[in-house]
Amino acid sequence: MTDIAGVRPPRLLTRDARTRRRNAAEFRFRLYGRVAVCIGVAALIVLLASVVANGVGAFRQTFLTLDLSLDAAELDPSGARDVAAMKKVTTIGYGRFLTRQLKAAIAERGIRIEGITDSDIAGMISKAAPAQVRDRVLADPGLIGRTVAFRLLANGRIDGYLKGRVTMKSARLDGNVSPAQLRLSDALRKDGMLAMAFNWGFITSADASELRPEAAGLGVAILGSAYMMIIVLFLALPIGVASSIYLEEFAPTNRWTDLIEVNISNLAAVPSIVFGILGLAIFINFAGLPQSAPIVGGLVLTLMTLPTIIIATRAALKSVPPSIRDAALGVGASKMQAIMHHVVPLAMPGVLTGAIIGLAQALGETAPLLLIGMVAFVRDFPAPPPEGFLDPATALPVQVYNFTQRADPAFAERASGAIIVLMVFLLAMNLVAILLRRRFERRW
Amino acid sequence: MSDATGLKIAARDVDVFYGDHHAIKDVSVAIADRTVTAFIGPSGCGKSTFLRCLNRMNDTIDVCRVSGTIELDGEDIYDRRVDPVQLRARVGMVFQKPNPFPKSIFDNVAYGPRIHGLTRSRGELDEVVENALRRAALWDEVKDRLSAPGTGLSGGQQQRLCIARAVATAPEVLLMDEPCSALDPIATAQIEELIDELRGNFSVVIVTHSMQQAARVSQRTAFFHLGDLVEFGETGQIFTNPQDPRTESYITGRIG
Repeated sequence: MTDIAGVRPPRLLTRDARTRRRNAAEFRFRLYGRVAVCIGVAALIVLLASVVANGVGAFRQTFLTLDLSLDAAELDPSGARDVAAMKKVTTIGYGRFLTRQLKAAIAERGIRIEGITDSDIAGMISKAAPAQVRDRVLADPGLIGRTVAFRLLANGRIDGYLKGRVTMKSARLDGNVSPAQLRLSDALRKDGMLAMAFNWGFITSADASELRPEAAGLGVAILGSAYMMIIVLFLALPIGVASSIYLEEFAPTNRWTDLIEVNISNLAAVPSIVFGILGLAIFINFAGLPQSAPIVGGLVLTLMTLPTIIIATRAALKSVPPSIRDAALGVGASKMQAIMHHVVPLAMPGVLTGAIIGLAQALGETAPLLLIGMVAFVRDFPAPPPEGFLDPATALPVQVYNFTQRADPAFAERASGAIIVLMVFLLAMNLVAILLRRRFERRW
Repeated sequence: MSDATGLKIAARDVDVFYGDHHAIKDVSVAIADRTVTAFIGPSGCGKSTFLRCLNRMNDTIDVCRVSGTIELDGEDIYDRRVDPVQLRARVGMVFQKPNPFPKSIFDNVAYGPRIHGLTRSRGELDEVVENALRRAALWDEVKDRLSAPGTGLSGGQQQRLCIARAVATAPEVLLMDEPCSALDPIATAQIEELIDELRGNFSVVIVTHSMQQAARVSQRTAFFHLGDLVEFGETGQIFTNPQDPRTESYITGRIG
């Protein structure tokens, strides 16, 4: 017989080599865990910080406040205040009008800048500003003849100067902005005409062309994404939950259900762009739905989200203890009553988690939307639902992609800003999910 | 309902298969009304399986097949025209582990009456719930906290809640599958006392592997061994004068 007592340390107060080794291994293991968590948190912080640092500027914009005396002779030559006739004055006419007014205002304030030209002064305001004024005048012809304070978008380069992106040095090499303009903006700023303010337009207005980054907004993309989320929620959640309940609780186990199960798991792993091709082939080419429409995007994202929701829901249903089913059946509940009254309410938190993961995935998805035309440049807002589901729109992630494709550095800031909006959307969705889960999670 | 000595359930030549496994072999049992019948036997002898045949709970298991006839008041419960859900409303069940719904005490008891439409008003429902809780000897302990969660009760209270839940549906037969195996001796004694009282209104079938419990609560005892019904008779006779050597070995502790 081996002497077990001989291997043991003689005293409890001294640790033997084996215990020391085990304790060291345990300490190391915990250390690896902490390092891993730290790396993850650091990566997240760096990511968020860089996005916020780059994007927060998109939410502030430089505006030029100008009192415009809306001259009737120029803006309404017919004099009848008839909107149809007033439309004959184009944005070019308004542009000339604005330049003259701005020049007058500068002179009136006694600001004198060495070597500044008329086109420099015209270039101070955004190319979107004439349309801004025209739209407001056409909407309210009564304004004509009066002097009205307008807050006009400043040119993207001037905005860049106030945000520190454009400097005197870079302006000398830049064909789109001159040092004289920058000196003028310094003077205007001192005067209070030029100032930064919160940029509601970034959230509410539509995208703008390459030449006017200062006017570009996310309105259409936010609406498009919201429409698609509505479609995904109302299609994927019921279909996913119903099929999970059937597969988990009612379906017999045979070759067919096995096949379906394998296919659902495989679908979850299919690259999203494949769903885009499918959507193009089936919904647009075969079913004849319009391109770029949120309905098509929503359907494609529904297909993509379904496997996620089904897998999560089935896992949630599986985790409900069978004793609850027995209990319900034992008092004479039917199978459906047992499931609807007891199993599904208990599985609800898991179902919601799955649905939110699926929706979040759908919200951030870009690739399939590129294939069904949602990458188009859309200026017009879609109509309110349900007709709006068929109108062209874009989506937030696609808008991010679009912004990053453009040459003007002002769009880089807007791409990061769009990412912030996207993340706010995600946070809001998660918050709703958490609140709903709290409500259902009274599982005592 | 038949009288105190009447026949409630008659099982004849029942065989149960789990896939290829022959779990119950040609068992015939007559269960009298308003008596407590105990099924005893070593683990895996088929006593729980047989119990679950009596309210067709085995239907939920895909691979399980039952042959033979089981009659409740003269009607074959395995007839094709019988709806198992309707059957289970008349033959209630209490399980081995207390399994209250994660709802309030009131809702636990009220669930059966609600789904079967047994009451017409809230007042009636309150009455049914109170009666069921009184029957289960739980009323005095929970009457002030009916809206508290059922899962917050102690193990013994939970099991009595499950009994109240079963009783509230007004079944004729109450099946109990080792109802005390998860409980301490004091809770067990309370449940046993309760079973004795329930005998006044129901026919009770209890599965247990405690022979003492069978001796204490039952009037008739069936001894199962490896899927066979070895012996069935008056409880006193089974425990004092077993006819079969296997029964004798089991009750004297040599097998099982």
